[in-house]
Amino acid sequence: MKLEVKDIHKSFGEKEVLHGINFSVESGKALGLLGRNGAGKTTTIRILMDVFHANSGEITMDGQKFIPANYQIGYLPEERGLYPKRTVIDQMVFLGCLRGLKAKQAKENAKRWLKRLEVSEYETKKLETLSKGNQQKVQLAATLVADPEIVILDEPFSGLDPVNSQILKDVVSELIADGKLVIFSSHQMSYVEEFCENIAIINQGEVVLEGNLHEIKKDYGKSRLMLTLADCAGEEAAKKVTAELSDLVAVEDIKKNVLVLALAEGKTRKDVMERLAKASLEVEHFGSFEPSLNDIFVAKVGEEAEKNA
Amino acid sequence: MHKFLTVLKYELKEYFSNKTFVIITIFLAVAGLLGPFLPRVIDMSDFTGVKVVEKEEKVNEKDEKAKTFLYIDNVGFLSEDVLQAVFPDKTWKKADSIEALKTAVEEREAGAGFVVTGIDSYDYYVYNKSMTDTNQFAFDEVMKQFYRVNYCMEKGLDPEEFMGMLSAPIQANETILNKDTTSNFWYCYLLVIVVFMLIMLYGQMIAVAVTNEKSNRAIEVLVTSTTSNSLLFGKVIAGAIASLGQVAIILGALLCSYGMNREVWGKQLDMFLDIPTDVMIAFAFFGLGGYLFFAFLYGAMGALVSKTEDISKSTSGLMMVIMIVYMFSLIQLNNVDGTIIKVLSFLPISSYSTMFARIAMGTVATWEIILSFVILVASIVAVGVIGAKIYRMGTLRYGNPIKFSSALKDLKKSE
Repeated sequence: MKLEVKDIHKSFGEKEVLHGINFSVESGKALGLLGRNGAGKTTTIRILMDVFHANSGEITMDGQKFIPANYQIGYLPEERGLYPKRTVIDQMVFLGCLRGLKAKQAKENAKRWLKRLEVSEYETKKLETLSKGNQQKVQLAATLVADPEIVILDEPFSGLDPVNSQILKDVVSELIADGKLVIFSSHQMSYVEEFCENIAIINQGEVVLEGNLHEIKKDYGKSRLMLTLADCAGEEAAKKVTAELSDLVAVEDIKKNVLVLALAEGKTRKDVMERLAKASLEVEHFGSFEPSLNDIFVAKVGEEAEKNA
Repeated sequence: MHKFLTVLKYELKEYFSNKTFVIITIFLAVAGLLGPFLPRVIDMSDFTGVKVVEKEEKVNEKDEKAKTFLYIDNVGFLSEDVLQAVFPDKTWKKADSIEALKTAVEEREAGAGFVVTGIDSYDYYVYNKSMTDTNQFAFDEVMKQFYRVNYCMEKGLDPEEFMGMLSAPIQANETILNKDTTSNFWYCYLLVIVVFMLIMLYGQMIAVAVTNEKSNRAIEVLVTSTTSNSLLFGKVIAGAIASLGQVAIILGALLCSYGMNREVWGKQLDMFLDIPTDVMIAFAFFGLGGYLFFAFLYGAMGALVSKTEDISKSTSGLMMVIMIVYMFSLIQLNNVDGTIIKVLSFLPISSYSTMFARIAMGTVATWEIILSFVILVASIVAVGVIGAKIYRMGTLRYGNPIKFSSALKDLKKSE
């Protein structure tokens, strides 16, 4: 299955909040929707789920108009909540049945997911008696109760402690390995980096960067190098490098004791290596610089902010 | 349909697992079942006119004194035999003086005292006059009798003949060709109140249930799992089944029990509880229809707010309509064949009580009943569908309550 979102526009009253969102994702892969608070991630997801209607644009699944009701979708909304006064198992069976399962099947699935998420001991408890983290896990179990083919998780990690985050990470990895189509939004880059083959960075209602994460990283790191000196670090190292290599590179960033260098136009990595061999610098590490998703995000969103300023 | 049934089942489970709901239903049903047996256990012959239980004759001294009535006859035409006949459970004694009579009444040595001051006047003395004191009325009758006898004697007339003439028996045969409004009025009144209470109580509960789904944020999961029609229809119809089931159990217990004990009540409660089958059927159809009509509106009103404390703001207009219709229906029960009630009996907001009243007490053609019911059913469907759209539209609109008129405008715009 291939889901494609094409040129989605959405306005609330007079204000346009999405200005043409585009991205695509396939089964067995995960797409990370990234963006700052209020960037338009949740609105995009709600349009996907038919909670809101887009003003223009289209969403297709394998080339056909995408109608959410025709697919088994597990949706974890950003605004989470179930019935606080009902037991965990009751509401999970209810939601399973609403998504087309028979009661028996829904009960079996509910028990399986509660066990997988390590909350089966609360099966017969009222939801309101559980801690916030456990309520969140129950909510995730309810999202997956019908074994959906498409999983859409809006900020799934918010409110989870590191142990529960790890459980959720494992579950998401299993879903991807099972061939599910996974979309999840977050502003916690490390999680996205871990599972997502593809990303779409949304900023102020526009996709400012979209594609394969590996390719994006490669592209961002293409003309950048990393260098660590054995005898000094930080500003001092930057000064030394600038003094010796200013015609070849510029110090772009200092990350602890690592210098991120940008190649000057027309210069190559080989040119820098040759100069380093001759220079009086005590080189500890030298290599290609691979940016983290966080670097790319900050760079891209910052760049857009500068453009708009 | 499967999803609607799933919602219906889930909501019904909510009602039937609610301890308050179950306890109230059981308590009222048991009360309804046992209440009509009371005359078999307690002597209620004063009210029912039927003696089933012998009253224990434990008369204490205080009661004995209260049953003693004193009199002073300044005219000289009272007879103790006549007084005894009119007041069979009292003991009449002549007082020596007005002062002695007053003192005896004040000190509770006597229940009351009468001083006849002329052939058409007397003074009545009582320590505390109760709401149910009929002594004066009875003594008036005694005085009238003596006055008439006195008159006859003065005019040389035969008192017996004269009295016979005054109370000549008239024989009347009554044949009611259509409805007996007098006997149908009270149960009609009772059933209109029952439907009104159902609408007010359960309508509010439905509104609260819908608002709770918004306030606990479950609504987004729900509307992305099924249609808003399934959700609202399931919720409202579950409320209807629960409430009407509750009424059926309580009313059924009361009516069955009264049926078994009708004779010992001296048929005194027939005006409330001897409800003809055709009226019960009309009540079931129109009562249920009216209930559903307003329940869908309450559901939609619940979706217009996101906090339960705001529900009263959202439902106040609807409550006003229900109250006005209710008051108007009760007033119009005295004139069931009037033009106003005829018009009201075709409007979905009022047909649940007015058409039902016309069926029970007035003259109504079959086509009118069918037309009114068709209008009611069509209105229920329309209100249900619009209510579900408002429910869907209000899904993610948190914050200030949305006005009903604005919601309708937004719906129109979105279509």
